[in-house]
Amino acid sequence: MSEEELTFWEKLARIDRRVFYWILFIGLMIPFIRPIVFPIAISPSTRDLYEGIKEMVEPGDVVVMNIAFGVSAWPECMPAFCACTKLLIKEGAKIIFWGAYYDVDMTYQEVLRRCEDYFKDLKYGEDYVYLGYYPYQEAAVAQLAASIRSIFKTDNYGTPLDEIPMMKNVDKATDIKLVLSGDTGDVCDYYIRQWRIPYGTPVAEIGIAMLGSSYMPFYKSGVLFGMSVGVRGGAELEKLIGEPGEATIRMGAINISHILVVIAVILANIGYFASRRK
Amino acid sequence: MAEVLRREVVYLITAIVTVIMFIEFFFIGTWNVAEELRTWATIIANISLGLGAVRLLSEHAKNIQKRRAGVWPFSIWLWIIFLITILSGLAGYVTTHDAMKNPLYNWLFKWPYTSLGQTLYAITGFYIFSAAYRAFRARNIDAALLLIAGCFVILTNAPIGEVIWSGIPVIGRWFLDYGQVPAMRCFLIVAAFGMLAYGFRALLGRERGFYGEVVGE
Repeated sequence: MSEEELTFWEKLARIDRRVFYWILFIGLMIPFIRPIVFPIAISPSTRDLYEGIKEMVEPGDVVVMNIAFGVSAWPECMPAFCACTKLLIKEGAKIIFWGAYYDVDMTYQEVLRRCEDYFKDLKYGEDYVYLGYYPYQEAAVAQLAASIRSIFKTDNYGTPLDEIPMMKNVDKATDIKLVLSGDTGDVCDYYIRQWRIPYGTPVAEIGIAMLGSSYMPFYKSGVLFGMSVGVRGGAELEKLIGEPGEATIRMGAINISHILVVIAVILANIGYFASRRK
Repeated sequence: MAEVLRREVVYLITAIVTVIMFIEFFFIGTWNVAEELRTWATIIANISLGLGAVRLLSEHAKNIQKRRAGVWPFSIWLWIIFLITILSGLAGYVTTHDAMKNPLYNWLFKWPYTSLGQTLYAITGFYIFSAAYRAFRARNIDAALLLIAGCFVILTNAPIGEVIWSGIPVIGRWFLDYGQVPAMRCFLIVAAFGMLAYGFRALLGRERGFYGEVVGE
């Protein structure tokens, strides 16, 4: 059947994909030209993450921030990761950064840049330390729980761990107050299996939106003490720490894209049913 | 002899490692032998990264040597970028103990790599949009239910959903809590049993794919 012979309803059910690409492209530009801000309700998993950090962390406690997301996931994970970093610094925690992604150096530098106001009063080696990359596999995470020094002899810049003041009495999972894992994959599973279950170290997830469904059962069962899901989780955390930022602005694009998807699905089904009745 | 090394010795190593890990996890807590094995595993993983890089370069060198149509110019490009990246990173590490302090290495990661990575990831949004339009059709009752639940969950994740109607996030969360979470739990538990069965089969030498053997060989 040629394009001219199609009825309006049939055309509605067969819109060219390029039309959608352009609609989405133009739609996504709107919130960046004129921000669209709606109130954001805090989801229970984000609230538990925020309150868990506030309740558990005492000044001087050592916390691990695991970077298991690459630069491609910065838009989704970075706002929540930075919000948690800021919250930990406010609570007086000492932070160990390490990562399971080969571009972890970039992400660490970006965290420092985005949280510059918080890090300017902190001293490297006393308040935070960066150990660098470890190979992406469960054996490494298990061994980190048993002995950090068996995986990292030095920090990322070649200083032996024993010469770093905040690492003096820190070597195993029991010396760590909690782990926050920023993920695009399944690295948080390793921390659940190798840190949370055998040593009882509290673990929380800062993941891309897709991981919300994967880790929700762990959160619901109390294995994860909290969870931030995608940009929305980042926006919620920004609201909770009282510093609206990148994720809050980005929620405008989320609103537009999500509503466009729903409209497209409704149009497709109207066209489908109308052409079927004919 | 080679056949024995290929099979029985590998079976034996797998069995010994499995038993050691099993004993440590369930009976001891922390065991030096197991710790040593995990450290080896980490070292081997690091070596495999280097081997992977060598293999990649050698495959692309073959493409260049054979002038493989439509591929070899990209192979040359890969070699050029690989060498620039690794040499600039090493230069930064040797001089300052921080690869990121080399301006060229930093520039390569900060501008081309970051932009390309984020663009590739963002492009999937366009495909998802178009795919949702083409695939989400209420062709039968199951598809209709999936479609309705999907629309509620989509609008639950966007603050605009609550602005449209305050009931949307309530219904969306109901779908998530009473639909998605139990289904995911079932999946996780079944997958865990599957892993157990797979582990036992591997331990008994019955899972030939585990040992790198081609099934049906």
